[in-house]
Amino acid sequence: MNVLIVEDEKSLANEIASFLKAEGFLCELAFTGREASEKIAVNLYDFVLLDIGLPDYNGLDLIVEARSHGNDTAFIIITARGTVEDKVKGLDLGADDYLAKPFALMELFSRIQAVARRKFNVLNQNLKVGDFVIELQSRKITCRGNEVIITKKEYELLQYLIINKNKVLTRNQLYEHIWGNILDDQYDSNFIDVHIKNLRKKLNEHAPTPWLETVRGVGYMISLEK
Amino acid sequence: MLKLRMKLALFNLSSKLVFTLLFLILMPYLVERISLLQVDNELIQKREQVITLISKIGIEPFMTSDNGNVFGSYNILKEEFISLERIELKEDVNYIEVSQRLIEGEKITYRVLNYSFKIDGNTYLLEVGKSLSSILHTQENIKKVMLLFLVFIILITFLTDLQYTGRLLRPLDLITNKLKGISNPSIFDKSPVRTTTSDFHHLDDALIELMRHIDKLFQKEKEITVNISHELMTPISVLRSKLENLLIQRDIDAEISTKIEESLKTLHRLQSLVNSLLLIARIESQQYLREESFSVQEVLHEIITEINPIAEDAGIIINEDFENDFLIRKANRSLIFSMFYNVVNNAVKNTPPQSEVTVKTNLFENNFIATVTDTGKGMTEAQMSSLFSRFKTKPENNVESTGIGLAIAKSIADFHGIEILVNSDIMKGTSFSFRIPENS
Repeated sequence: MNVLIVEDEKSLANEIASFLKAEGFLCELAFTGREASEKIAVNLYDFVLLDIGLPDYNGLDLIVEARSHGNDTAFIIITARGTVEDKVKGLDLGADDYLAKPFALMELFSRIQAVARRKFNVLNQNLKVGDFVIELQSRKITCRGNEVIITKKEYELLQYLIINKNKVLTRNQLYEHIWGNILDDQYDSNFIDVHIKNLRKKLNEHAPTPWLETVRGVGYMISLEK
Repeated sequence: MLKLRMKLALFNLSSKLVFTLLFLILMPYLVERISLLQVDNELIQKREQVITLISKIGIEPFMTSDNGNVFGSYNILKEEFISLERIELKEDVNYIEVSQRLIEGEKITYRVLNYSFKIDGNTYLLEVGKSLSSILHTQENIKKVMLLFLVFIILITFLTDLQYTGRLLRPLDLITNKLKGISNPSIFDKSPVRTTTSDFHHLDDALIELMRHIDKLFQKEKEITVNISHELMTPISVLRSKLENLLIQRDIDAEISTKIEESLKTLHRLQSLVNSLLLIARIESQQYLREESFSVQEVLHEIITEINPIAEDAGIIINEDFENDFLIRKANRSLIFSMFYNVVNNAVKNTPPQSEVTVKTNLFENNFIATVTDTGKGMTEAQMSSLFSRFKTKPENNVESTGIGLAIAKSIADFHGIEILVNSDIMKGTSFSFRIPENS
């Protein structure tokens, strides 16, 4: 998939690009609004990651411009000004998702996947891990046809880990994915451990889960050979 | 503490009472003086009449040998008498006195004018008397009427004064009412109070001006907080992405990845701090919308469901003791969620394993009350006093916390007009009560 990263902070743009390239994306960078506007007009992107706080441009105008040309590119807004109005305004103008800085690269990746599923109807097949199948549409887990009953939070954790498979995720990243920023202060590493413990227990009743690894001193990872 | 209006009324009343008392003490003396003066005038008039008569008809008709050169006359009721007597006097007399006379066996108190004059070498003494008994009686009556009148006047003036000062001080009441219950200068009613009293006008003006000024400063401070927070987000973002990209490299060794994870954790703490400050600044500058209506019980239940796995893991039971539900109006659900979440989560963290946390709801005097009680170590007075201050309550057992969670809860509560009451017993536990007014 083609991605345009519109971000005036060059080193952040480079990091995002390097991460997405490793995931198989084709990335282009635009450091100014003008540059972005030209690129969007000329090229076809599947995704535009848009920092709306550009020095020379109101980022939201780029969405308006693109939409007025019948451009159906998916826009994901990234901004340091994460106010409620910004978010509502961005989504009203036709942005597909919204991420407040600072965000985890894995979170960005999981949002891209979600938008892709919703918007382009791709990646919609169920995810397989070991003997388990994760049905993304119905948000269910089955093991050889039997449904595994897990809580909403446990499902979210598992899906996040699978989407970011073969990458170690820290407890912080997992916590942030489930609870967002609003409960930031109450971050407690124990939270994630308890949820993973419960998840493992529930899954192990159906089949072993050697793929759900604890990475000592770092976090958790779903390890699947490609 | 008394209200100014009451103080004025009391002062008014007491000054009137003092005045009355003084009057009551002086009145008998005054009345007597005035009535005696009146009598004396009459006596002098009578004397003139007698003297005029004598100069017309001569002294002879009064002085006959029959009466032994003494003339006396009194009216039937013995209220007045006149006597004329020829006597020897060393010097002239002309004075008025009170003296008792025996008339037909009756002792009567008179005011008597004594006056001497000479005719044909003889000295005569004229006495004109007027009984004082009727005067004393009149005096009593005058005293009674005056007393009644005085009481009536005091009552009337007291009531009118009360009414008038009330009216006069109404603008002051309005101004104090504007100041009551103000937690934030931005909610101060800046419309001027209508008054014709220049002092109140100045006071009101000065207050409004002051509030505007403070409001502006507050606004500026919040703007600075928001701007700094935003400025910090970008470098944190850059660092974070770099570290995350490093961590997902498959070929780095365990020691390095642990160090990267630790750096990420520290960075996360920095991010949390900035986010919390930003959140509080935004709440305090009313940047959040309050337009949702929802069941508080539902929110509490959702929070308990989320925290339950962690509580269970520590062997802590969270009791749901819901007596009443409450539909909160004009609120922000995610903020209210966060407020309760912080406190319930705190309670679970502060409770030792194998004990209980209770979340209770009930109605009390038209207010909805949600109470979160833990059975933890409790807090000292000093700990309680700094409970809601930012960065002051870092619990020793929780390294991750920035100690700002309760400050956030407090600002969310203030934003919604919710009152938080804290009760704590050392070694017994702590309870947080949220009082949500019916009309919120």
